Amino acid sequence: MSASVETKPALPAARPAAADRLTDAASPGARAGLIWTLVRTDFKVRYHGTIGGFVWALLKPLTMFVMLMAVFSFLFAQDPNYKLNLIIGLFLWDFFAEGTKAGLMSLHARGFLLTKARCPAWILVVTAISNAVITLIVFSGIILAFLTLVGQPPSVAGMLLFLAYCLALVLIVVGFSLAASVLFLRYRDLNQVWDMVVQAGFFLAPIIYPLAILPERFHIYLYVWLPTPIIEFARAALVSHQPATMTGHLYLAAAVALCLGIGVMTYRRFSGRAVEYL
Amino acid sequence: MATAVLQVENVSKAFRIPSVKRDTVREHVLGLFEPRHYEKLQVLEDVSFSVQPGEALGIMGRNGGGKSTLLKIICDVYQPDRGRVIRRAAITPILELGVGWHPELDAIDNVCLIGSVMGLSLPEIRRSMDRILAFAELERFANLKLKHYSSGMSARLGYAVAFEAVREVLVLDEIFAVGDAGFKAKCEERYRELHAAGHAIVLVSHAPPIVSAFCDRALLIDGGVVAAEGPAADIVDAYLTTMTHGALPISDSSAQSA
Repeated sequence: MSASVETKPALPAARPAAADRLTDAASPGARAGLIWTLVRTDFKVRYHGTIGGFVWALLKPLTMFVMLMAVFSFLFAQDPNYKLNLIIGLFLWDFFAEGTKAGLMSLHARGFLLTKARCPAWILVVTAISNAVITLIVFSGIILAFLTLVGQPPSVAGMLLFLAYCLALVLIVVGFSLAASVLFLRYRDLNQVWDMVVQAGFFLAPIIYPLAILPERFHIYLYVWLPTPIIEFARAALVSHQPATMTGHLYLAAAVALCLGIGVMTYRRFSGRAVEYL
Repeated sequence: MATAVLQVENVSKAFRIPSVKRDTVREHVLGLFEPRHYEKLQVLEDVSFSVQPGEALGIMGRNGGGKSTLLKIICDVYQPDRGRVIRRAAITPILELGVGWHPELDAIDNVCLIGSVMGLSLPEIRRSMDRILAFAELERFANLKLKHYSSGMSARLGYAVAFEAVREVLVLDEIFAVGDAGFKAKCEERYRELHAAGHAIVLVSHAPPIVSAFCDRALLIDGGVVAAEGPAADIVDAYLTTMTHGALPISDSSAQSA
């Protein structure tokens, strides 16, 4: 036992209070450091801090793509763009599914940061989807490389539109995560309910089948499920080079704003007492 | 008198305890036509006090008396039902014998995480990493995941981070309750340094010698209210009286006006 201290650590000086919040991660520098640390440690925990671990996250949808292409390309042999549409749909869906699951569990998983110190909870929610965003960025590169390899390089306008759709999808996931993360603390089987919805939603969205095989009168209902317009618009921008209509874009913008608005309102409504449910 | 760094004004807090616990969507749907009854557990009632710059305030009281809830309200972890807390300085908390850890991360990553939460920037954390590990006496275990740490080791690390991140006000729940005699001596030494340097301190403890030795002033929380307030030595006596006789004699409440 070393009762005596050999080198006495220097006493840190009293630190100034920040103007916005007088507890914990208040200064912009500390907040930026917190965000970076959360992203880095989440990556480390999820993938054991190795690129090799991250490869597994990429292999899952890639394997799915190979299997689905092997089977369904025979069924939709008349569609020359089937495999291009499939890879776009699968990768965007993978981000949606992984991001929403991580966001839903975010406050519960990082509750240890909330119960013993005042930590801005919204940062925990938003950074929880960071790994899914990293995967989406890598997937986007794969999609663009794949399109170029098969002789259909996307136009600059198409790539910009695709970027906008990815951003819209991220905002949808953030909106969902803000609401679901606080609700999960009150309803502990919400993750199972959401798993069920995601499973059904995979088949509801036109990922493995072209939307055109369904009667047109049903399309409007499928567009209510927000991954549908994102996937369809992304395919239109990158593959068929026929961007969605202005009405379609206005609908998507309104839907994203609504999703984000509901998410923020729900979060604000329930987050104040969220710690009491941890 | 200087402006208080921390002002607690008429804070009340109650928890609603349902007759039937429902935590899932399924339970809520199945119980849709079976209304629940709630019992109100009033933890704090109209609690008011203030902490001056450089002052060490002790808070004593029975187990379940609302001390930890009060600290969480002070630290903005819990929201009060009524009343408010005016914070004029930044707070560093050590609640419930330490800070939260991620079991799958090693000590270095956890220090980065908790240090960031406590308001340190990453360059500050990197600069003080060796000092934190040395204070916690955990240099050899810096790369060991926290799930392999004993409760004492993780508590030591928590104190080391908090003592490094300390800002104007330090809020401590049961300090000196962890570690061996050597570590306790280090904590006491650091506590005195912080107090001498002008940090205000709010300290919850059940140990009369600690409150007597380390606090200038103290509160006795009993039944969710401030039963007595005054010099630390007087409040320690009042605390011992409540623990011995079950209630504070009327004559002792005179300390409240002190």
